[in-house]
Amino acid sequence: MAKDYDYIIEFRHLTKRFPGVIANDSINLQIKAGETFALLGENGAGKSTLMSMLFGMYEPDEGEIYLRGKKTKIKSPRHATELSIGMVHQHFKLVENFTITENIVLGIEPKKSMIGIPMVDIKGTDIKISDLSREYGLDVNPTDVIEDVNVSTRQRVEILKMLYREAEILIFDEPTAMLTPQEIEFLLEIIRNLKEAGKTIILISHKLDEIKQVADRCAILRNGKLIDVLDVKETSTQTMANLMVGKDVSLDVAKEDSVKGEVILDVKNLFLKNMFDVKIVKDVSFQVHAGEIFSLSGVSGNGQMEIADAIAGLLPIDSGEIFLKNRKINELSIRERTEQGISYIPEDRQVYGLVLEFSLANNLVLKSYYHEPYSNRHILNDEAIFNHADKLIDNFDIRAGKGKDTIVRSMSGGNQQKAIIAREIDLDSDLLIFVQPTRGLDIGAIQAVHQKIIAERDRGKAILLISLELDEIIALSDRIGVIYNGEIQRIADAKDISREEIGEAMMGVAKNA
Amino acid sequence: MYKTIIIDGLAFALPLLIIAIGGIYSERSGVTNLALEGLLGFGAFSGALFIVFLGGHFSQNSNIPIYLSIIMAALGGALYATLFALLCIKFKSNQVIAGVVINILSQAITTFLTRQINQNFFEQPSDKFQIGVFPRISIPVLKDIPIIGAVFDNFYTFNIIIIALLAVTWYLLYKSAFGMHLRACGDNPQAVDAAGIDVEKVRFKAVVLSGALSGVGGICFAYSISANFSPAIYMGYGYLAIAALIFGNWKIMPTFVACLIFGFARSGGNELAKFLQLSSSYLDLTMTLPYILTLLLLIFFSKRNRAPRALGEIYDKGKR
Repeated sequence: MAKDYDYIIEFRHLTKRFPGVIANDSINLQIKAGETFALLGENGAGKSTLMSMLFGMYEPDEGEIYLRGKKTKIKSPRHATELSIGMVHQHFKLVENFTITENIVLGIEPKKSMIGIPMVDIKGTDIKISDLSREYGLDVNPTDVIEDVNVSTRQRVEILKMLYREAEILIFDEPTAMLTPQEIEFLLEIIRNLKEAGKTIILISHKLDEIKQVADRCAILRNGKLIDVLDVKETSTQTMANLMVGKDVSLDVAKEDSVKGEVILDVKNLFLKNMFDVKIVKDVSFQVHAGEIFSLSGVSGNGQMEIADAIAGLLPIDSGEIFLKNRKINELSIRERTEQGISYIPEDRQVYGLVLEFSLANNLVLKSYYHEPYSNRHILNDEAIFNHADKLIDNFDIRAGKGKDTIVRSMSGGNQQKAIIAREIDLDSDLLIFVQPTRGLDIGAIQAVHQKIIAERDRGKAILLISLELDEIIALSDRIGVIYNGEIQRIADAKDISREEIGEAMMGVAKNA
Repeated sequence: MYKTIIIDGLAFALPLLIIAIGGIYSERSGVTNLALEGLLGFGAFSGALFIVFLGGHFSQNSNIPIYLSIIMAALGGALYATLFALLCIKFKSNQVIAGVVINILSQAITTFLTRQINQNFFEQPSDKFQIGVFPRISIPVLKDIPIIGAVFDNFYTFNIIIIALLAVTWYLLYKSAFGMHLRACGDNPQAVDAAGIDVEKVRFKAVVLSGALSGVGGICFAYSISANFSPAIYMGYGYLAIAALIFGNWKIMPTFVACLIFGFARSGGNELAKFLQLSSSYLDLTMTLPYILTLLLLIFFSKRNRAPRALGEIYDKGKR
């Protein structure tokens, strides 16, 4: 195969801006035909944005993409498909009540003719899909219906979709995030098969061991900038982890040493399953004391969010026990848990934290409206609700155009978050669970939130902080638990563990070392 | 007696079926269709309009205008469904509300127009269009088979048209690429979009087809039940068709069975009233049989049935 180009893909000064952020800052990158290339970086580093431009989902603001040596404007995913680029998204795009074959051929249906009437030929294609599946070791049964097969199989159907469309460049967006270790092994084997067949593979990931296993080269992105391109064989996972996490940004928060009190939250041997019946939290135990900030650090999708949901009562417990102030709360409803003293600042503030169409005043009493003085004999007392709102708006510096009457949807993300934090702190619970409390906030708002968290700790509250931002964990925590693959890797006093050690444990490296 | 039950039952079940299939087309593409009632009414009105204006141009005993009126009903239903499709797909309005509005509007417009046309063109104050009786035939030999022979005895010829349409619509929904796209749109429009197919276009076609099929059902009801078009056509058969398709789990063949059950429940109820020699005022009571049956069946079966996953979801390209 004679080639008149050096690189199958070349990005030149590729830049993409979103309101308030530069997602990709003048990226220059070359990818060779037939290599497995990894894109490594933390959440929000710009990996997905870069690939979305290659797949025609976003248009670059500046810079060019050269495909097979030719400058190419990729207009849409359909156009990308025509250019032999395929992508497996994190969220699969499959029709659940169709068979695997039907999903694969959707949009380019093979036809046959029966007594002169044209029909979609599914049966005949089953054999073709079967062969294709065997060729790459994908092991799917073409006649299975999607809703009956597991996540791993669905992912392989997405791979088959690309292969059936004869894609040469295959992009995988965090392909192992939802897989079990065995399934991951299986997928990596498939990726090796695909490489052997001459495909160019781009792997978006933040799991170092996987990259180490299959990738040839890897690019490290941080805050939208390309930091380095490395040869995977010659680079240690440690170096990669350091480069990925970086050390330049740090948010310092002034805080005293903690005054540790009694145990408030005691989680014992917790096991959780997700909706696909996959074990995502395995035998997790930890305690949070009054007056301390205990944080769970880990890469997204390692079970930490589910732990928070289980404590708050949003996710049923598979096995294990959760005690709040020595009382078992496994069987309590969400409201009962709130009344027992749990405040919860959820990750998705717009779905679980607020009623977006309600006024700020009403949102501020979402968890207490049924109590005196906010209601008397089931009738809401507007005066009390408004006074309460004015008080919180003042104390927490919530900025909203029409004050307490502002519809929450129209407020900025930072002020929405402040409203939730105000409401939850106002409950005066013994335990406060903060999940990603500063996600999407600007520096000013982040500092305000951090100060509030520390103020609550100093008031003797027990704080469970779950964050994907290592900087935040390091800035705030008194004790740190690191979670990887649903298991706690280690728990240590913040003083006794370095950023690098946390980073390694987050990647599951420490375990092997 | 069983003969009457079968003959009348089929004459009711088949128009109901074709309306329900219209509903299936719309709902399997992801558009909730409560507008069947309005669509069948508007279709019947369009067919009847054709008869009162142009029926006289054909020779006295010709059946051609009757068959042409079915085509006109389909066109009228499709045209009116275009309005519904515009509301639901182009303007992304709430499908339930749009459906109800379409129903109310259909009844109001057709009643108004019928009166006005009767007054201004035929100078008679009436809210009815006389459209005559649909031809009935019997198939020799087959009709003499015991019991099931009744199926071939003295039946409306529209039964044949509907059975043919049943075959065509079944083929189109389950065997053609268009049908595949349609069913995929009702399950996961994002997947359809990713496959490079225009979700809105597919849904638009599905809704327009649903109007055409409902129109055919509507004019058949007008012929068989009353031999005229009047506001009495809005008897809730559109809703009964929705019940049938839910009971049939949004699949054509099980819906066929559901319609047969409703049809026979209705004709059986009528015969029962006659058999018991009840006064005609009790007929209204027996007429409620299919609806009571609907309630019971839905209570027992709707739990197991699953609506198309994306039913009622307005497709927004930006949303992921």
